[in-house]
Amino acid sequence: MSASSATAPRSASPPQPGEAILDVDHLHVAFQTPDGPVIAVEDVSLTVRKGEFLSIIGPSGCGKSTVFNVVGGLLTEHEGRVSVAGETIVGPHPSIGMVFQEESTFPWRTVIDNVAFPLELTGMPKAQRLERARHFIEMVGLQGFERRYPGELSGGMRQRVSLARTLASEPKILLMDEPFAALDEQTRLLLGDKVLQIQQELQQTTLLITHNITEAVQMSDRILVMTYRPGKAKRIVEIDLPRPRTSEIVGSEAFGRYVAQIWADLREEASRGLTDDETSRNRGSAS
Amino acid sequence: MAATGSLTASAPVRGRPNRVTLLRIGIIVAVLAGWELLSRSGWLYRDVVPSLFAIGKAIVALLSSGEYYFHLGVTAGEILAALAIGGVLGLIVGLLLGGNRFLAAAFESYLYYLGPTPKIIFFPILIMWFGVGPGSKIAMGVLSAFFPIALSVAAGMREIDRVLIRVGKSFRATTWQMATKIYVPAMRHPIINGVRLGLGVGLIGTLLAETKLSNKGIGYLIIQAYTLFDMPRMYAMLIVLFVLAIGANALVGRLGGLSNIKRR
Repeated sequence: MSASSATAPRSASPPQPGEAILDVDHLHVAFQTPDGPVIAVEDVSLTVRKGEFLSIIGPSGCGKSTVFNVVGGLLTEHEGRVSVAGETIVGPHPSIGMVFQEESTFPWRTVIDNVAFPLELTGMPKAQRLERARHFIEMVGLQGFERRYPGELSGGMRQRVSLARTLASEPKILLMDEPFAALDEQTRLLLGDKVLQIQQELQQTTLLITHNITEAVQMSDRILVMTYRPGKAKRIVEIDLPRPRTSEIVGSEAFGRYVAQIWADLREEASRGLTDDETSRNRGSAS
Repeated sequence: MAATGSLTASAPVRGRPNRVTLLRIGIIVAVLAGWELLSRSGWLYRDVVPSLFAIGKAIVALLSSGEYYFHLGVTAGEILAALAIGGVLGLIVGLLLGGNRFLAAAFESYLYYLGPTPKIIFFPILIMWFGVGPGSKIAMGVLSAFFPIALSVAAGMREIDRVLIRVGKSFRATTWQMATKIYVPAMRHPIINGVRLGLGVGLIGTLLAETKLSNKGIGYLIIQAYTLFDMPRMYAMLIVLFVLAIGANALVGRLGGLSNIKRR
């Protein structure tokens, strides 16, 4: 059932033309835990088209971060096939750039050296890579902070450094795992604007993992809603809002309808997660 | 010890550090006065507790002799070599143990048991292997410095923020790049700490070895002064050595302090 609901919208008319660049085919991931195997992701299929912004949304514990790790090539023990432009992913792929949820800047490197990091790995000459890095620092709006250390910046600025660093590797697909989760609401909205602007400017194919409905609707062309444990694809929602978008779109009526629609889907899953949490907590306190 | 004391003592009385400073100076003056009294009292042989004047004269004589600097150079070279070799070995072993659960489970307990063992018990073996010269002293220093560095690096490696490793992997860093651009810089604090501890015990190991059996170095000079019963000279050397050791420790500490500023 889950497979059909996930694959059905794929054949429907695409929100924007473009060939499929990322293909997740019947992904299935199970973890061994002391309490027996736990199915994190069950039979998820999805396709991301070139230039498209696709979000995966779901409650905590729906396995969306697992999808992130599989697509990023950091988790290779799974069933099903994940491929980028026809190439099966067996490890971190050069076409995919990851932005992590956690604080991930290198505290011992300045902003510019952080951003130049992926270029340094490829052996690009210093002058050239610093110039490239400067370009992406400007893109995320951090010019003037090149020589600062991450410890001297705010959390939002550090996350922008991480974003610039990933963009500097010029990935075909930008893969983000709740990159704004640790930020306050205002910073989150402003940073969301920045990401949207950059994504539209670069025509950057993006796969965003999030649990924030507003964020997902504001940025996405399509949203994949996942169920609570085991994580299955529940529905794909196409967001037919005009582009270019900014955070102002949040006030529109159409926006509200999408949010309500997705919340209706998510609510059920989130409350299932909640009861699950409570029962396990009760069980824990009883023993 | 002295460092932690100064931190806790000077922080609350920031506005009036005079009392702390006075107390510190007072203790030194009291010890010196006690020493001088003991020296003049005649309770002990005069030569065992020489007068401050005699020691001062010996320090001047020591610092103006070329022979002393030659021996100081030998010891310093031995300690530096020991720290370099022990440091590199410790770093490699620490990285291996920190990065591999299997190796850690198999071998780390050896390090924990061997670490605090007095290494001087191996000195006879080292003399047979490396001779009476600086070789056996360096080996002694390596043996001493290796353990704290290896253990500190292994522990530090386990505390690295995992996401930084995932970042490196996601950018497809090679093993060498992961080691040099992520692991080592991420572990700069435990590494510097390990080197600091290694320097301390390496210093002890090397000097101890020199006092046991050697033909050059500060330890050799000290034990020579002792056998000739030249007490002022011996005390002079101990004092100079003490000051140098404090200086070396402060230098390594300063290195750690610098990287702290850059961190946050």
